[in-house]
Amino acid sequence: MFVDSDKRMSLADAAALVHDGDVVALGGGLSARLPMALVRELVRQGRRDLHVVGSAHSIDVDMLIGAGAVSVCEESYVGFEQDLGLAPAYRRAAEEGTIRVKESCCVTILTQLRAASMGVPFLPVRGIKGTDVPRLHSEYAEMTCPFTGDVLVVVPPLRPDVALLHAPMGDARGNLVMEQPYVLDEHFAQASRSVIATVDRLVDTDDVAGFGVTIPGHFVRAIVEVPFGAHPASSYPGYAYDRRHMDTYVKAARTPEGMGGYLQEWVLSGDESEYRVRVGEESLDRLTSWTESDDAWKELFA
Amino acid sequence: MSGTADLSTSWTFDEWFVVALARTIQDREVVFHGFGSPCAQVAMHVARRTHAPNMLLIEGAMYAVNPDPPFIPPTSNDASLKRGAAYSMRFEEFFDAACRGDVDRMFLSGGQIDRYGNTNVTAVGPLEKPKVKLGGGGGGCNISATIGSLTLWTTRHRSGRTLVESCDFITDIGHVTPAGDREVLGYTGGGPQWLVSELGIFDYDESGIMRLRQLWPDVTVDDVLAATGFGLVVADDVGSVDPPTSEELRAVREVDPLGVRRSEFDPAELDRSFSVSA
Repeated sequence: MFVDSDKRMSLADAAALVHDGDVVALGGGLSARLPMALVRELVRQGRRDLHVVGSAHSIDVDMLIGAGAVSVCEESYVGFEQDLGLAPAYRRAAEEGTIRVKESCCVTILTQLRAASMGVPFLPVRGIKGTDVPRLHSEYAEMTCPFTGDVLVVVPPLRPDVALLHAPMGDARGNLVMEQPYVLDEHFAQASRSVIATVDRLVDTDDVAGFGVTIPGHFVRAIVEVPFGAHPASSYPGYAYDRRHMDTYVKAARTPEGMGGYLQEWVLSGDESEYRVRVGEESLDRLTSWTESDDAWKELFA
Repeated sequence: MSGTADLSTSWTFDEWFVVALARTIQDREVVFHGFGSPCAQVAMHVARRTHAPNMLLIEGAMYAVNPDPPFIPPTSNDASLKRGAAYSMRFEEFFDAACRGDVDRMFLSGGQIDRYGNTNVTAVGPLEKPKVKLGGGGGGCNISATIGSLTLWTTRHRSGRTLVESCDFITDIGHVTPAGDREVLGYTGGGPQWLVSELGIFDYDESGIMRLRQLWPDVTVDDVLAATGFGLVVADDVGSVDPPTSEELRAVREVDPLGVRRSEFDPAELDRSFSVSA
């Protein structure tokens, strides 16, 4: 556990705690609370051979793959839902065989994280038998239950080297305040060897205690304040997701050249403060306007 | 229908499709849809506003219980989807409930679907070098085994590539897999009960095989047979899908002002419109 009282550091120093080849859990999911500032910084630092794990994700995983940072992808889903469709870089890498696809399942990942949290060598799941999923996972086994005689698939613990989490608020100790859905973040925090967190806003401990701590600081190794650190994902109650930017990304990422152009323009050309300038104050303000009225909120997605 | 002739005299196919999905839900059921499933998502809210007011609606990626969202956004985990919910489940709370058999119905789709309702959302073509890498199954490979009933749907039946002789990869469990049926596998869930496509409505016979039950009025049995990659069972009494009521249409339009349901359809399907003489 991480007992220091002040874990604040720069984004570059925090991202440097992730090493080539690490098993990396990405927090949040789909379009919410993705640790995008850390993702962009890992791309800037040229990280390689990451083994990413998680539930249903989108631009975070796709961008890391498009930047050549990933060798194994063990997510339950990577894509942009019906709205923007398949994940371009993930799809290209999987079809060309440049990454190893170990597609998993939300329940299986949860179970494996629970095994790691509990310190036991395996846990059973009820499903999987009859599907082709075991073809992607030679580490799964079957076992006869000593009590019922049922044959169940059993899965080993999943202990990520590091979990990258984003929260709207946190303190210097690393206590994090989140809104639901927490997705797997609490389980990642318990099961991983360390947590690196970004927050839109650093506040006093009294404030996080007042709101209610979702993930306690003793799981967190480093914390960095990065305003709009989840952009273009949402980080409620602060800001909604930036559908226009997601669309820009998806269109660019459809070719290797477009992917390279996107990374050059939005990621490699500057740090996070320059990223926010490039996105523009007007666009960022727009994403916070969801609080004004239901119509204003709806307009963000029209 | 009384007083709303303007609503009930004409409607589009996407509206009717969602209504047909909604009708597969029974009142008092505990119902869930996966992420990236706007038709199923809209259908659940339509059912709750019409014939199933006492269902327990669990919102796909928010796990909010019985929310009243001001609109359905184009992403499944926007905070608008928990508006009005007194409670949101944790991720594990929902999946545990599904695994222990406390969820009555889930909506599932697939890039490929076989006659037994096995679905593939993982990859088309050989696994080592897929022709198309699909997004992935979310939680389906476990919870399709244990949830009470499944409503399958696809908006891509007509392509001829969706209802296939065998899935290139089985992600989610239908009635019978190459490793055996649900009894052999020890699965407590009942499996696929309905499949709604843009060509018709199907159920599953006692052998767990898909069977045509109802047609949309602009579709023939031959259209369905031509688009289906296996010998289809056709019920003796194939009927026509009941037109939507004004109450159902009003619910669709109120629930989904942004029209996110339309993102699931080929543009040609959206041109299908229907009316009854007032």
